[in-house]
Parts: sequence; structure tokens; C-alpha cells
Amino acid sequence: MRLRASILAIAASLGLSMAAPAGAQEALRIRLNADIRSTDPGVNRDANTDGLVWHVLEGLVALRGDATIAPMLAERVDISADGLTYTFPLRRNVRFHNGQPLTAADVAFAMERYRKRETNWRCRGDLDSAVTRLTAVETPDPHTVVMRLEQPSALFLTMLARPDCGQAGIFHRDSLNPDGSWRAPVGTGPFRLGEWRRGQFVELERFAEYAALSGEPDGLAGNKTPMVDRVRFTIIPDDAAARAALLAGNIDVLPDARTRDLPDLRARPGMSVHSSPSFDLQIILMQTTDPLLRDVRMRRAIALALDVPELVRAVTEGSSRPARAPIPVGSGFHTPAMSEVPARDLAAARRLAQEAGYRGQPIRIVTTRRYEAFYEIAVLAQDMLRDAGINLELEVIEWATQLQRYTRGDYQMMAFGFSARLDPSLSFEMFTGPKATQPRKAWDNPEVQAMLDASMRETDPARRRAIFEAMFRQLMEDVPVVALYSSVTHAVTPASVQGYRSWAVDAPRAWGVRVQR
Amino acid sequence: MRRGPGACGCSAEVLSYVLKRLLVALPTLLLVAASVFFLMRLIPGDPATVVLGDAATPEAVADLRIAFGLDRPVLVQFALWIERALGGDLGRSITSGEAVGPLILQRFQVTAAIVFASVGLAVLIAVPLGMLAAWKQNSWGDVAAVAAATFLLSIPSFWLGLIFLLVFGLWLGWVPVVGYVTFAEDFWGALHYIALPVATLALIETGVLIRMARASTVEVLRLDYIAHARAKGVPEWRVLARHAFPNAFAPTLTLIGLIMGSLLGGIAVIETVFTLPGLGRLLVEAIFARDYPVIQGVMLLIAVIYVVVNLVVDLLYPVFDPRVAAG
Repeated sequence: MRLRASILAIAASLGLSMAAPAGAQEALRIRLNADIRSTDPGVNRDANTDGLVWHVLEGLVALRGDATIAPMLAERVDISADGLTYTFPLRRNVRFHNGQPLTAADVAFAMERYRKRETNWRCRGDLDSAVTRLTAVETPDPHTVVMRLEQPSALFLTMLARPDCGQAGIFHRDSLNPDGSWRAPVGTGPFRLGEWRRGQFVELERFAEYAALSGEPDGLAGNKTPMVDRVRFTIIPDDAAARAALLAGNIDVLPDARTRDLPDLRARPGMSVHSSPSFDLQIILMQTTDPLLRDVRMRRAIALALDVPELVRAVTEGSSRPARAPIPVGSGFHTPAMSEVPARDLAAARRLAQEAGYRGQPIRIVTTRRYEAFYEIAVLAQDMLRDAGINLELEVIEWATQLQRYTRGDYQMMAFGFSARLDPSLSFEMFTGPKATQPRKAWDNPEVQAMLDASMRETDPARRRAIFEAMFRQLMEDVPVVALYSSVTHAVTPASVQGYRSWAVDAPRAWGVRVQR
Repeated sequence: MRRGPGACGCSAEVLSYVLKRLLVALPTLLLVAASVFFLMRLIPGDPATVVLGDAATPEAVADLRIAFGLDRPVLVQFALWIERALGGDLGRSITSGEAVGPLILQRFQVTAAIVFASVGLAVLIAVPLGMLAAWKQNSWGDVAAVAAATFLLSIPSFWLGLIFLLVFGLWLGWVPVVGYVTFAEDFWGALHYIALPVATLALIETGVLIRMARASTVEVLRLDYIAHARAKGVPEWRVLARHAFPNAFAPTLTLIGLIMGSLLGGIAVIETVFTLPGLGRLLVEAIFARDYPVIQGVMLLIAVIYVVVNLVVDLLYPVFDPRVAAG
């Protein structure tokens, strides 16, 4: 009898603990596929870290959905006629999470930390390069920041807005320990950092005094009003478990659903799929210093033997469009010509390979199974190139090893993917440069390098567009890489979630999203 | 024949034995530490490159390697690490910046809770079942037990875990699909979260233990002293419990020790499927990220676990098999 009573008591307790804790209904729960690395903006980071940080910190400028730049903490940006002086009048009503008002001194303090070598800020080198060199950050009055450059740069504001640079987020000095090391972010964003339980979740709390801009949300800019009291990023590494968690109601947003799960998820009542093309790029790299691939005819033969539309359709199950240019379709600099994919021509491929002296020797393509798309690209390329008599051998290695070999340029061919680049110059720069100093670069052409440098200095959009078109034409001539496609991000939400949208950068945004259970 | 402590029941002797064993384990631990340290550095892949990703410039990689202390000669790195480790400082994680010691202890608690519960459950199910199967050898019950054990052995743990998630989490909604709380925070909540991983692991290990318990009992039941006990008219339950069990359990105990050592070292697949922040997931993520300090710390802990578990098994051996102590 006592045993039975105990069992009933245990069952009742279990039943009680099954009920959600008080207040949990006000939280928006979003899946995160891995833990964040830190909360230090643009320092110890990855895509998840950037996506968490942009809820807490804001920069002077921010990225719109179309990768153009908008003012954020700055009221506007005034650029001098010579392009050397950027003046940022600050918005007056902005407060940090600790209640302190935002001042120009705070901006100068944050920028000083970013520019220190020991901070290891990811973008320090980009703001101290031959193309973009920030020479001074001045504070003529408490509400104005002036930044001076050595020479005009089309990329300066993009650098400040880049998510991987932590948006050069402005933090209060309370974010640092007395010894100057990073403690926790005290920013101006719509959410403040709540609890970070490593390996389990990161919880953010609504910042009640958030000074939202008017209008609509737009990328990381615009109106970022928080609509929920709490946001919990729940770490679920396994895709199948994440899908089950969504269906069981344990999470509200699955921001990165697998393409293969979409038909089933779409068929479920109340589930909405939010798809958006990303600014990333999936690509096949070719080592132009390799004895065989040094001959441009051999590289052209490989490109002609690939049935790119079919490859992209198979790998993405029809969700992405093939593109041969590195500039993503969503960019204002993408032209229709960049979407035109040359037809597969096996006869021409065979002829070119023969002219290049190819005699059936194996060419190794490096790939990994960490990212299934890379592996599938390599397998399909192997099959397609076989039709043209080109013998591709797969070398499947672990991701960290592949990354190291990419950095050293240690490959013949490689199935690879670049994370989102937000300016066309950066889209080309990711694989263009001198191999002598940067072995990871696939395209080492001094003329192209000159064009790239010019595109970074040129601020007139029309002239920049002309430069990018010329670079694209040269890319199709030189074929150091075969660009394939930009992936599409699919997020899935139940009927209880309103206002969620996917976007070009592959991490979720929680502002403007409501939950009504 | 093993020579274990406890023959005289003298606690001083046991203590001296334990200390001696731990002292003997020190070179083993040093060897493990050195092997892991140098092997990890032989593997291609660089932590700085992984942290920086596809935009890693040579200058940024060099800066980060200096920040991580990887620019120094490997022997110097090893000497520094050993020196700090002896002082109780296992360094800081390259990826998260956390102190490695507290980090692995925190993760170990999660893994240990699941492993102890699941192995305990598996022993409670498997040992009686295996013994009964042996007692009724070749009966339908024996065949069923062996078939069940073989079936459980053949199931991949991730698959069983996903099926449990689907049935109990998704269809029946009895348990949450993701999440974890510690027992200190919420006892019933913690039970709730670990129920499925414990059930999954217990079932898998039950298969192994049934086979071992059955095999060793079959062997013991054939011995002369069992026939002698039966001839004396000792009741069958007493033959099993009093005479067969102690001898038959001893090999199973060794197996339990090995299982415990292996599982406490990490149940990465189970932890990944059930989203548990345990030691196995930490180790796998650290290997992917080439997070040397975490890998070294976890491997050292695993070596310590094996030493301790083997020691505990050896100390328990005479309890079940007096011949060990007597020998």
C-alpha cells in the first residue's frame, strides 16, 4: 500500500515537472546547433557567436537585408568630399544595459580596444590594410565621433557592420574586467545577456529601455523592438533531435531545417517554412600552381565537364539556383549575366584536356563529411568528370585538416564553402590574392588584383559594378574556381510564432518575433 | 590468480594497497598525458585555423598561435602543461576560454549520473536474467533471453535513442525531447530529463551483461561443488544464490568495471542525441576544434577513471570470490 502511494506520488511529481515552469510561455526558444564560443564581439567567434552577439551589441552602422549599410547607433553618417573623414553624430536617446547613456567616449573606448593587437579582433587587420587604414578616432563632442582614413575606401562602413567583426559593437566599459579582459557584454541591443549555461543554452532578457528605430526590421538594422521577455537559444547538435524538439513543442524556431525534412514539415498543420537565399558560396577550388592544373585548358575542361545545374539541383534538392559568380543573387551588384551558367560540353572538355596533355592521371579532390554538401559536390563532380575521361579521386578528410590544407593551399582540387561575404569586393577577395604571401588564395592574377584593389577604393556604385563585371569575365577565362551556388536557409516555426523571417546571413534574429501559445 | 586486499579484513592493509596501486598508476597517467599531448600535435589541423575559419590570414593565424602559446617548441609546451597540471591547473579551453579543470568536472557529473544509473539498472536486470537463463539452459526462457541479449547488442545506441525520443517524447509527450537540469536544481526534473538516455544505455548494456552472466553461471553450475550441494539436498534457490552467484558474478564484475570505465569516459552519441552537456560531447567537440587543453584534460580524466574503476573492482573481487583473497 505504501509502495503504491509512493509510486503515485512519484508519478504526480513527474506530471507536475512535465508542466512548463512559470513564465516559460513568454520565452522564445530557438535551436542553436552548437554552443557559442564567447560573448566577445568579433574575437573568439563563429557564426553562432555572431548571431548571439548581434542581439546584445550594436555598432555605429548595421547591415540591411540586402547587404547595404544603414546607420544604427549613429543618427547618420557624413562622409567628407575627399572620402577620408567619416562623421557619426550619435543618437541621443540610446542607453546601455546598465542604464548609462551612450557617449562618443564609449565609442572611442570600444574602438581603441578593437584596434589593439592583443585583443585579437578578427577585423583589426582589415582596418589597418593597404586598402583601408583607419588612422584616427576622434570625439569632438560627447555626441559626435569622427573617424579618419588614410585613403578613400568603399569597404570602411562594411567593415564596421560585418557580423563576423561583431559589428564593431559598442560596449560599455563595464563589459571588461579590471585587467582589461572581456567579462560580459553590456551593450545597447534589444536584449541583454541573461544566463549562459555552457553546452545547454544561452538566455537573453528583453531590454526594457531599448531605443528602437522606427519603421520595419531590415537585416541587422531598422526597428529591432523585442516582442518577447526572454529568448532562449537551446543547443541541440543533432538535426533529427532538433526536428523532434520542434514537433514536440520544445523549441519555437528551427532556424536551419534540413532540406530533406521540408516536405514533411510543410505538410504538418500550422508549420511555416521561411526560406531565404544566403550570401555564402559553395565552390570548387583548383590549385593553379599544380603541374597539371597550371594549364588553363585543363581547368576549363573541368569546368565544361561539370553539369552545374544538375549538380546544384541534386545537392540542394532543388532549393538553390546555380550561379557562376561569387557575388550572391541577393546583392545589388549581381547582374543577370552572372547567373548564366555555360552549358556542359563534354566534347570540348575532352579536346581541351587532350590539348593540355592530360593522359588520364588521377586528380585528387579534397572534401569532408562534416558538411554533407561538400562531400556530395565532390562525389557528383567525380561522376560528371568521368564522362569527359577525367579521373577524379576523392580524398575525404576531417574538417580541421581540410581547413589547414586550404589555408596552406595544399590541394589539387577542393570542394569548399565560403561563409557570407557582404560586399562584392570581399566576395572576390575571398579567393583572390598573391599565393606567395597568402597560399590559401586560389586566383593569383596581378591584373585582377589591381581591379580588386580599385573596387575597394572606388565609392561610386556604377563604376564599382563595371569593375565587378570585368572581374567576372576574367574569372570565366581563368577558371581558378568553379562557383556553384549560394545555399538557401530554411527556418520552420509553428503557428504560435509570428514575425520570424530567415535572411541572408545564416543565424536567427529574435527581435520583432512574437509567441502566442 | 589475482591477489587482492582484504583477506585479513585489516583496513591498514587495504589503505596501503590502495596507495600502492595509485602510486603505480602515476607512470601510467604520465604516459597517457605524454601520448595524448604529442599525438594530438601530430594530427593535421590547427586550432588557430579552426577558430579563424575560411578568412584566416597568415598574420591572424600567427597572432592567435602566439595567444594560445602554440608558437613555442612542443617540448616546452609539454613541460609547461605538466608543470601546471601538477599544480592542478589544466589550462584554458582554446575555443571558449574556460578553465579546463572545472569544465570537465562539470561535464563529468552529467555523464556520471547517466552512467551510474544506467549501469545499475542494467546490472539489476541482466544478472538475474542471465543466471535464470543459465539455470534453465536450453529452455524456451533461455533461448528468449539469449535472443533478447543478442538483439539488444545489435541495436546502435543512437538509433534506439532516436526511437525513444520519437515514441516517448514526440508521440506520447511523456518527457521533453531536449534539455537538462541537475539533480541539485530539480530532482524530479533531472529524473525526467535523464530517463530516456538512461533507458537507452541500460538496454544496450543489458545485452552485454546478460550474455556474460549467463555464460559464467553455466560454467559454475557444471562444477563439482554445485553437484555436491545439490546432492546434499540444498534447495535450488540456495544453490543459485549462495553457491553459484558469488563465483558466477566475479567475471561479470570485471566486465562491469570495463563498461563503467568505457562509459564514464564519454557517451558522446547518447549525449548528442539527447542534447546532454556531458563529457563525451565535450571531447568530440574539442577534437573537432583541436582544443588541445580540453582534449588533454579529458583524456587524463579518462585514464584516472580507468585506474580508479579497476582498483574498485579489484577491491570488490574478494567480496564475491573468496578464493582471490585466500590465494
